[in-house]
Amino acid sequence: MRIGEAEVRHVARLAELAVAEADVPLLAIQLEGIVEFVAQLGEVPLPASTGTVAVGPAQLTLREDVIDPIPLVRGPESIAPVFIDGFFVVPKLGGMVDE
Amino acid sequence: MTARVLAREIGRRFADVASLNATLHWSQAVLDREAARLDVTPEGPLTGMAIAVKDNIVTTDEPTTCASRILTGYTSPFEATVITRLRAAGAMVAGKANLDEFAMGSSTEHSAFGRVLHPLDPTRVPGGSSGGSAVLVATGVVPAALGSETGGSVRQPAAFCGIVGVKPSYGRVSRFGLVAFGSSLDCISVFGKTVQDAARVLAAMSGVDPRDATSRAEPPMAVPATRSDLKGVVIGIPREYFPADLDPAIRASCERAITTLRDLGATIREVSLPHTRYAVPTYYIVNPAEAAANLARFDGVRYGPRHVGPGADVRALYQATRGEGFGPEVRRRILVGTFVLSAGYADQYYVRAQAVRTLIADDFTRVFADGVDLLFTPTTPTAAFKAGEKTADPVQMYQADIFVAPASLAGVPAMSLPIGRDQGLPLGGQLIARDFDEATMLAVAEVLERHVDATAEVRA
Repeated sequence: MRIGEAEVRHVARLAELAVAEADVPLLAIQLEGIVEFVAQLGEVPLPASTGTVAVGPAQLTLREDVIDPIPLVRGPESIAPVFIDGFFVVPKLGGMVDE
Repeated sequence: MTARVLAREIGRRFADVASLNATLHWSQAVLDREAARLDVTPEGPLTGMAIAVKDNIVTTDEPTTCASRILTGYTSPFEATVITRLRAAGAMVAGKANLDEFAMGSSTEHSAFGRVLHPLDPTRVPGGSSGGSAVLVATGVVPAALGSETGGSVRQPAAFCGIVGVKPSYGRVSRFGLVAFGSSLDCISVFGKTVQDAARVLAAMSGVDPRDATSRAEPPMAVPATRSDLKGVVIGIPREYFPADLDPAIRASCERAITTLRDLGATIREVSLPHTRYAVPTYYIVNPAEAAANLARFDGVRYGPRHVGPGADVRALYQATRGEGFGPEVRRRILVGTFVLSAGYADQYYVRAQAVRTLIADDFTRVFADGVDLLFTPTTPTAAFKAGEKTADPVQMYQADIFVAPASLAGVPAMSLPIGRDQGLPLGGQLIARDFDEATMLAVAEVLERHVDATAEVRA
């Protein structure tokens, strides 16, 4: 399938990823190459009963409903970009309207 | 040798190999602290063993960057379960190894801190994504190192560097403290100079962990007993791993190893895993999809630097931080993953890939149910390639995973061990076992290791 520059900008917005305009043409070429490559799965005949593989335990078990805090050697204030009075601080929400 | 003397020796070795760029963080002070801790720690199964750690597994005394600018300055406030277990077993855990950014790559050329050089030929790559860990073991800095596998990131660099690399069954080892990349695929894995070293480390860190719901409630793995021969072992040779255009040196090294396996008493049987050719495209849908979801957490809110101007809103914070912080391969994977999950395309790509993944896993189930104990294959389609040879074409780089991706998709254990050389470059042979049967795989590998001359050239 053809991936144009508009698709790259759209997907980048969905991914909340700033992409420089100068990078868009090469990204479009590379994404198209990758998507063309993976599209060969379209030729695989799938039996009607094909389920979804599940790696890991056959059945996930619920653990006890108890709080078991992970021991931290340093608090979040030491790793957060901005942390005030016990809260992670972010800019205003003004831009959260979907485009 | 006392722990303090060992710590000084390891420090000297880290300094000696600095030009290979295999280590992102190490300090003599941390090594000395580990030595002091070991002085008051009871002897354990790993006493006296120094272990380096891929820099996507969190430790509290050295930074964890995942080789990404987006985690600049981050030192974890908690420790991975595997680190706690290895320390309790008496290991000296120190030194964080370079990797492809967020473990995305097959050559360790995609690190924000520069590429890792192959120890035998600096113009070549050591493989990836755990290239730094592989180089630290191959150069003798440490006898074992932790890596992580999502789709071959330990087996492939082990093959390129001439060492042992073991990916356990999915769920054998706790992922708590491994920075998540592809959650249905990720396995903390181990490099060893020998099969025995790798087996000892894997045994010490295996076992269920209440902090990882996908770790299996099985007893920890035991170090397998040494075998003298391979009588009674049935080894399958899947024809799809030996295509007509397979590199002649790779074919020759495998044929020599198969002859050795037969001479040791193993029954060799040709088998078929018909969906093998679809493993790489399947992997490069599932993996980016899971990566795009996992890496959403890197947004400049809870850790790492921020890249945003004054007056900007929160969405600009996310976009600018991620745009500045992620390197080219990570950005590509996030974009592909977002695309294959997006409205209108998810059925065509992601849902279909999950169905094909089931067929790939079923191939393994079928041959193992049919009486085959292990599979033997090449680990890689070529020896270590030149730096820069595949970076311009992502799909060409992805094809380097052709023989390692299937076992990752199926969740079964697999390993690489050195089986020969071509013009001085190491070649690896791969063993794949049924789910949770690492013991058979490691025991057979140990016998093969003793009987194959891994330093011998495979063609005159």
